[in-house]
Amino acid sequence: MSYELLQQLINGLLIGFMYALIAIGLTLIWGVMNIVNFAHGDFLMVGMFTSFWLFTLYGIDPIVSIPICFLILFIVGWGIYRFIVSKVMKGPMLAQVVVTFGVSIFVANLAVYFWTPDFRLLPPTILQGTWNIGNLDLSVPKTVSAFGSIITTILVYLFLKKTRTGKAILATEMDREAALLMGINTERINSLSFGIGLALVGVAGAFLSTYYYIYPQVGSQFGTLAFCIVALGGFGSIGGAFIAGILVGLVQTLGGFFFDPSYKYAIVFAIYLITMWIRPQGLLGW
Amino acid sequence: MRHKYILRVFLGALSSFVLILGLMVSAQAQQKVIKIGAVYPLTGNIASTGIDCRRGVDLAVDIINGKYDLDLPLAKSAGLPNLGGAKIEIVYADTKGDPKNGMSETERLITAEKVVGMIGAYQSSVTKTASQETERLKIPYVCSDSSSPTLTERNFKYFFRVSPHDALFARDQFEFLKDLEKKTGQKAKTVALLYENTEFGSNVGKAEKKYAEEFGYKVVADIAYAANATDVTSEVGKLMNSKPDVLMHAAYITDAILFTKTFKERGFQPKGFLTMAGYIEPGYLPAVKADGNYFIVRSTFALDLAKKKRLVGQVNELFKKKYGIDMSENAARSFMAPFVLADAINRAKSTDPEAIVNALLKTNIPGNQVIYPWKGIKFDPKSHQNIYARGTLVQILNQDYTTVWPFDAAAKPVVWPFPAWKDRK
Amino acid sequence: MRRFTTRQVIPGVAVLIVLLIFPLIVQATFPIHVMILVFLFGMLGIGWNIMGGYAGMFSFGQAAFFGLGAYTSSYLSMTFGINPWIGLLAGGLVAAVVAAAIGYPCSSLRGHYFAIASIAFAEIVRVIFNNWKMVGAAEGLSLPMHQESFTNFVFNSSKLPYYYIALVFLLISLIVCYFVATSKMGYYFRAIKESHDVAEVLGVDVVRYRLIAIMISAFMSAVAGTFYAQYILYIDPESVMLLAISVQIVLISMLGGAGSVMGPVIGAAVLIPLAEYTRTMLGYKGTGVDMLIYGFLIMLISMYQPAGVWGLFSRIGRKTR
Repeated sequence: MSYELLQQLINGLLIGFMYALIAIGLTLIWGVMNIVNFAHGDFLMVGMFTSFWLFTLYGIDPIVSIPICFLILFIVGWGIYRFIVSKVMKGPMLAQVVVTFGVSIFVANLAVYFWTPDFRLLPPTILQGTWNIGNLDLSVPKTVSAFGSIITTILVYLFLKKTRTGKAILATEMDREAALLMGINTERINSLSFGIGLALVGVAGAFLSTYYYIYPQVGSQFGTLAFCIVALGGFGSIGGAFIAGILVGLVQTLGGFFFDPSYKYAIVFAIYLITMWIRPQGLLGW
Repeated sequence: MRHKYILRVFLGALSSFVLILGLMVSAQAQQKVIKIGAVYPLTGNIASTGIDCRRGVDLAVDIINGKYDLDLPLAKSAGLPNLGGAKIEIVYADTKGDPKNGMSETERLITAEKVVGMIGAYQSSVTKTASQETERLKIPYVCSDSSSPTLTERNFKYFFRVSPHDALFARDQFEFLKDLEKKTGQKAKTVALLYENTEFGSNVGKAEKKYAEEFGYKVVADIAYAANATDVTSEVGKLMNSKPDVLMHAAYITDAILFTKTFKERGFQPKGFLTMAGYIEPGYLPAVKADGNYFIVRSTFALDLAKKKRLVGQVNELFKKKYGIDMSENAARSFMAPFVLADAINRAKSTDPEAIVNALLKTNIPGNQVIYPWKGIKFDPKSHQNIYARGTLVQILNQDYTTVWPFDAAAKPVVWPFPAWKDRK
Repeated sequence: MRRFTTRQVIPGVAVLIVLLIFPLIVQATFPIHVMILVFLFGMLGIGWNIMGGYAGMFSFGQAAFFGLGAYTSSYLSMTFGINPWIGLLAGGLVAAVVAAAIGYPCSSLRGHYFAIASIAFAEIVRVIFNNWKMVGAAEGLSLPMHQESFTNFVFNSSKLPYYYIALVFLLISLIVCYFVATSKMGYYFRAIKESHDVAEVLGVDVVRYRLIAIMISAFMSAVAGTFYAQYILYIDPESVMLLAISVQIVLISMLGGAGSVMGPVIGAAVLIPLAEYTRTMLGYKGTGVDMLIYGFLIMLISMYQPAGVWGLFSRIGRKTR
């Protein structure tokens, strides 16, 4: 019986890593410009569709299409900031909160318009099957995605800490005014961060498309979880988002296993609320 | 300042536009044809199903309005012969799957568009509110695609249901198990119940629990889950722990896909899977392909019925010609309602609602005039449920839906137990 | 501040007269239904506004209170035969108590954190109601069609009573909001919105006033919920506790002008007919064009006119940050 528990734990981790990957893009955007991108889930969907069409039309395997997804979503993100979000930066807080809801509704329904509401699933690609290790079953796409998430997070972390642009982003995150004074073009940093944020969720979408079904509203459940994860992890903290993502994956799976699966999301949200009460700035926030 | 002025003009224009639209919609409609209202989720999360249902309805209307050499009511003549060849026109309304739209659209179709009857709405929660409206406004409602048992438990006067409901389907599953034991000696003792937790799934779960007790099977797991879950490993883990002989799963298409993949991933294989709804949606097999093989699904319709009933093949040919794809379960179910309603209007020789209802009560369409393996269509005088409605079980073999039960209607013998995942190519 | 200028009174009275005679002139039921929804959402918007527009707590979970009101009155009416009007008050109380219970631990959350917490809270409520057998779980509650009467809060033969009741509810909400906004409490709310810390330093009991704002808001939303239940006669978690409803409430208030009394009503008056008519005119072609227009409009308003429609007409210029 205990191997089933181990199995659930592992699966919780696997889905947790995926959540983490989705969350770090969101927390980056939030940290740099104080905007919660409520359309984040919908861009996950765009990433998934991009990977789907690249495979269906051009035969490009999802793993290979990751850099393409990254690039496409980066450009989209840059554009969204430059033409839409930047206009609300000087406006009232409410406008900043609401504008991404508008983007979310627009993007989701644009997908319906172009791609119809039908469900798609990628046929088995390079990543398929299950590794059977002893009594444990590890889904290949989920495991590879988990590793992909870890690698991506490390890359992001290194980018932020070691490169000049990265450090500029961190500086803007910490203190906008000071960054400005130091000659950092904060508007450019914003565009860059939004672009990277969406590019990261695009990569997550490419990974997710190898084992999850794709349709225009697929982003909503992931998105809602991502908001909680980011808030749980703490304003702008990449590490926080990563840990919180894993935590939520574990709570969701173990909660569903030991208690009632129909309550599993309620358990996740309840833990989130309790943590907010005890430590309002999130796990690693400041 | 000019900025504000332009915006003011824009908003003024927008409000006037909206007001004019309102008055337009309230204008009386002309009565050149017989209008029937149809409410379906044509946009929103479940739009692909709504559009599928619509295909069935549109084909039905083509057949009624045109001259076809088919053994279907009103097919051989153009339009309704008793009303001078009057044609049927379906006026569609989008519910987006929201019960309050079911109510308001039904009301609008009846009061503004002056429809004389209603069909729809696939989702039982929407059908509930829509039929509440028709009951209030005294307009007949013929439903052939919503399966909640509660709809005909209300004993409404104006609501009629043609198709089987979920409690019947649940009972079918246990009848099948008993039949299987009699025929092949294969015994099943324990069942696990898995269902999505909205009205559809929970009603199925309730019915299955009842029949399990009645038929003498032990329920070893009773799991409800959220249909749009991002991951179902915890649910499958619980199932595996319970080690059931049979899994009964009531799902929508999204969870059907996700669970199938997870079943394979975990190597979960009871002796058999008895499933509902999602597994027979047109999007399921294209998504899971060969992984869907050997699942058994409840069905009202199957293409291989054509072998025993020529009509099925003929109708499917027309369907394929019009849409380029084979007829699916949803399209097939929604297909029948327009015929039943038009047949009643024709016999009533009038579009008066009371006359139509009386004609509906006398409906007696013979079995050879329906595309399902039923004895016919006749409504119970109190509940208005079609007493001859029944389901069949189809099994996915070679990525095709094949009727396997009742055994005397089967096209091929059922494959049981479920072949091991790893033994398949 | 409480005296109204003639400029303000005359258009207001004119609009009121139009609203009163509207259903008598327009016989079609759909426009009346749309207006009822406008009043309903206007009321929900005002409720949100007190919490969000005035006190700065941007809640995306109003649907939870809406649903609590609907369920409380429906359950009491169906199980104990309690009159829906009393159920209405009971629903408001239940919502207010729950609001206080959740508001207290969240009293230090601000801005985005509060928004997300409200989403989480509303989802928990929805999941609970979706599984709670006593209130029908996913099947929801089908209210029986009682004898038509005012006391029973059920009207079968015509929509008019619903229309006028909704209008009265809306007017009452407007009056409540006006008094809140112009009272000392209203000033405290606005101070809290501007800055928690400054308000605290100035001696405002931040926690207490936040709770009051949330409770008033919850009460109003619950009353709207009871009305909805009596109007549609069927409720389930998917139709009354959905996140999409909460989002719609926020968008309506924002479009019309958060932080102003009339704002949410104007927002409802524009967005609800837009949503309903684009759905009936365009929606059924199955391509979601109506939602595209909706999303686009939201973006436009946020970008170019964040003070909402009211900001266009009001003397007070755009708020500076």
